[in-house]
Amino acid sequence: MTKESEHKRGLHQRMGASVDGVEEDRIDELLELVWTLREEGVSDMDHLLETTQDIEARSILRKMIKDDLFEIEGKRMIFKERGEEKAREIVRRHRLTERLLYEIFEMSEEEVEEEACKLEHILSPGVTESVCTFLGHPPTCIHGKPIPRGGCCAKFKKEMKPLVTPLDELGLGEEGRIVFIAPKSHQRLDRLSTLGIVPGSILRMHQKNPSYVLQIGETTLALDRDIVKNIYVKRV
Amino acid sequence: MTPPSKITLRWTDVSREKLILIGNPNVGKSVIFNYLTGKYVTVSNYPGTTVEVSTGTLSAHGKKFQVLDTPGVNSLIPMSEDEKVTRDILLKEPKSCLVQVIDTKNIRRGLLISLQLLEMGLPFIVLLNMWDEAKSRGIDINMQTLSEILDAPILKTVATRKKGLEKIKENLQARPPSSISVNYPDVIEGGLSKITSLLPEATISKRSLALMLLSGDESLAEWLHTNLSENNVLQIEKIRQEIQVHLADSIGYLINQARLRKVDEVLSKVMGLRGEAPKSISSFLGNLSLHPIWGIPILLLVLLGTYEFVGVFGAQTSVKFLEETLFGRWVLPPVATLFQRFVPIPFIQEFFIGPYGVITMALTYAIAIVLPIVGCFFLVFGLMEDSGYLPRLAVMTNQIFKKMGLNGKAVLPMVLGLGCDTMATMTTRILETEKDRTIVTLLLALAVPCSAQLGVTLGMFASLPALYLFTWIFIIAGILILVGYLASRVIPGEGSDFILEIPPLRIPLISNVIVKTLARIEWYLKEAVPLFILGTVILFVLHKTEVLTLLERAATPLIVHFLGLPAKVTEAFLIGFLRRDYGAAGLFVLSKEGQLNSHQILVSLVTITLFIPCIAQFFMMIKERGLKKALWISAVIIPVAFGVGGMVNFLLNIFGV
Repeated sequence: MTKESEHKRGLHQRMGASVDGVEEDRIDELLELVWTLREEGVSDMDHLLETTQDIEARSILRKMIKDDLFEIEGKRMIFKERGEEKAREIVRRHRLTERLLYEIFEMSEEEVEEEACKLEHILSPGVTESVCTFLGHPPTCIHGKPIPRGGCCAKFKKEMKPLVTPLDELGLGEEGRIVFIAPKSHQRLDRLSTLGIVPGSILRMHQKNPSYVLQIGETTLALDRDIVKNIYVKRV
Repeated sequence: MTPPSKITLRWTDVSREKLILIGNPNVGKSVIFNYLTGKYVTVSNYPGTTVEVSTGTLSAHGKKFQVLDTPGVNSLIPMSEDEKVTRDILLKEPKSCLVQVIDTKNIRRGLLISLQLLEMGLPFIVLLNMWDEAKSRGIDINMQTLSEILDAPILKTVATRKKGLEKIKENLQARPPSSISVNYPDVIEGGLSKITSLLPEATISKRSLALMLLSGDESLAEWLHTNLSENNVLQIEKIRQEIQVHLADSIGYLINQARLRKVDEVLSKVMGLRGEAPKSISSFLGNLSLHPIWGIPILLLVLLGTYEFVGVFGAQTSVKFLEETLFGRWVLPPVATLFQRFVPIPFIQEFFIGPYGVITMALTYAIAIVLPIVGCFFLVFGLMEDSGYLPRLAVMTNQIFKKMGLNGKAVLPMVLGLGCDTMATMTTRILETEKDRTIVTLLLALAVPCSAQLGVTLGMFASLPALYLFTWIFIIAGILILVGYLASRVIPGEGSDFILEIPPLRIPLISNVIVKTLARIEWYLKEAVPLFILGTVILFVLHKTEVLTLLERAATPLIVHFLGLPAKVTEAFLIGFLRRDYGAAGLFVLSKEGQLNSHQILVSLVTITLFIPCIAQFFMMIKERGLKKALWISAVIIPVAFGVGGMVNFLLNIFGV
């Protein structure tokens, strides 16, 4: 059992005594669970009922079948088109949020899970696309599971480069304009800024090994990886 | 940390007007200082060389100016000890002439300092130095416009070739400060006006002080407490915190950002770029020396070159000539005859020319054995510094130092340590945190042999199969990494970020390298030779009073049984404390006389390499790290040195190699 789904069960427990208004969220949660179980190669209904902590799961599932989200073949649950679509969206929102919170805001994995479970229900499609683009259309979540692709990702493949990438992903000889620097400490930020490393400045990746070597204007700087990966740039 | 009061004592000479050189690191301040004062300070193509403030005198307009060469700064809101020293000078020296030196190709960073000087309300001259390098890169600056914007005279210079420097004197007239200002975000401006109303008059503008305070500059605490009431100090901190609460980024960062925007605005008016810079051979080599693959053969080549010059030419050819021919044939025999004929007192004769004589032992060791080796090393080190190879070495070795909880910057004092550990201990100041400095000080004292010792050591290994040398290298390097690794885990505190500026590779000016080498040799003679003599005298006394025999007997269990060495080696360890290389030289003589077999040579060399540093380094450790830490470091070193030595002896016996 992964950390992700383990946590989900806990959340369901708390949501068990919810009122009708939260119904939609509970459907989302179950859809997500079906999706994650399917990734693990399980589509058995009984297994699902064992896994979930939503005490009313059975009745909600019935409602979901009625709503044409999935169907049952023997004991196997098979998504219908609408259910597949909905589940894909919710998983995508959840995993993108995880990456955003973990990488950009540097929250702990625990916090990330907690927040992602809440945010997955409220992000609008527009915001989801922005987050995805902002993160550079990441293919996987922080646990290494695939993030379902969205419309923006398909477009990106054809015409757009990711908006923002960590500096260490810049190729040799490529230039990037600094968008923001995720601070480890204020002191480091101040020190970098006196060397001209502030948002707006253009850096050129000169070398990655044995240390990162960057060119900013006519200054050549050698930096450690853990500093470089906290600098986010837009390719120019 | 150097307490500011100490600095004041050293450079304040109230009676004279001052000329202060200021600028980013590695822009040529020291070269200009040399030109102005005719004095020599160590100049190198490596940031952070000027750790101390150098002073000299310049005559102009019928007045005498005291010239101060300040450590390089990237900001006048201090982020390092160097920057604090420089800022404090500005804070304490009213009415001085300021000369800002800018590396023209890095004008953006230079102007960041100019803006801060302007904000302080201090008039200054700008030298656009390294004009030639900027020109070859297609950078063009409109001097007229820049001069108008900054309201300051601007000179083009190429300091290393003395171009344009003669005009500095003409421009030393006092002028009213310029009125340019940077606009900061509203919240910060609000805080600034609140704080300025609380501040007293000072040598620099209240606005600039308020900016430093808002940035949370802790180095100003002392100044605050002497100049402000306790209540106002608290109030300022409250204002600062109130503002910080509303901002996601640190105030200092926002201030720097606003300044850089202003700099870019100025640059857009004055700077022209004429196409890409042509690729020069030096920039090609510069890149190659950093390359993850090609950098390694270059590194090895540099090391091999150093070894050939220092280890072979210095330690073998030159030493042989000086010791055997110069001293052995031409100097010592006549001197001995002289003493025997004119000083018929045996005690005095023995004092000067006996087996522990000042001339026969101290001077011979210092001049004939050690001097050629350190001289050669200083020359190579000077070449490495001026060519800009040293910071590249830091990049290449960063990964290894990471294992020891340090970063590549530590390679600089370590390599210098191969020249002279005492000097290297002093330069640990270029490291940013106390933790880094402590680890490097420990490692220097423990496992980095200085050039003199290294030379003698290599000389001794020359008579043995190469396997012995490799075993020695393997043991010392292993101990170095192991102790570094453990120390980084035991010593509390934070390691520092690896942010290192890499200057372009330049062809070193030979005259500059020679002057620098001579200055270092002079330093060596002044610092080391007296200690050599002192060491010999102590040994002489110990010998005469039979204490030496007692000590040798007392150390017998350790030296003879545990390490398996002849009792006479004790002497080498004893004098080894006076100067490490001196001790090694003692071993050298013993092995030449055939008193040590090959196992014993290995054991004794491992032990003495790890053994406690020379007395000069010990004093430097006390000065830089404090007595307590110096003693702690010694307490680590002694058991490690003898423990490892004993273990090597034990293993050699077991395997009977």
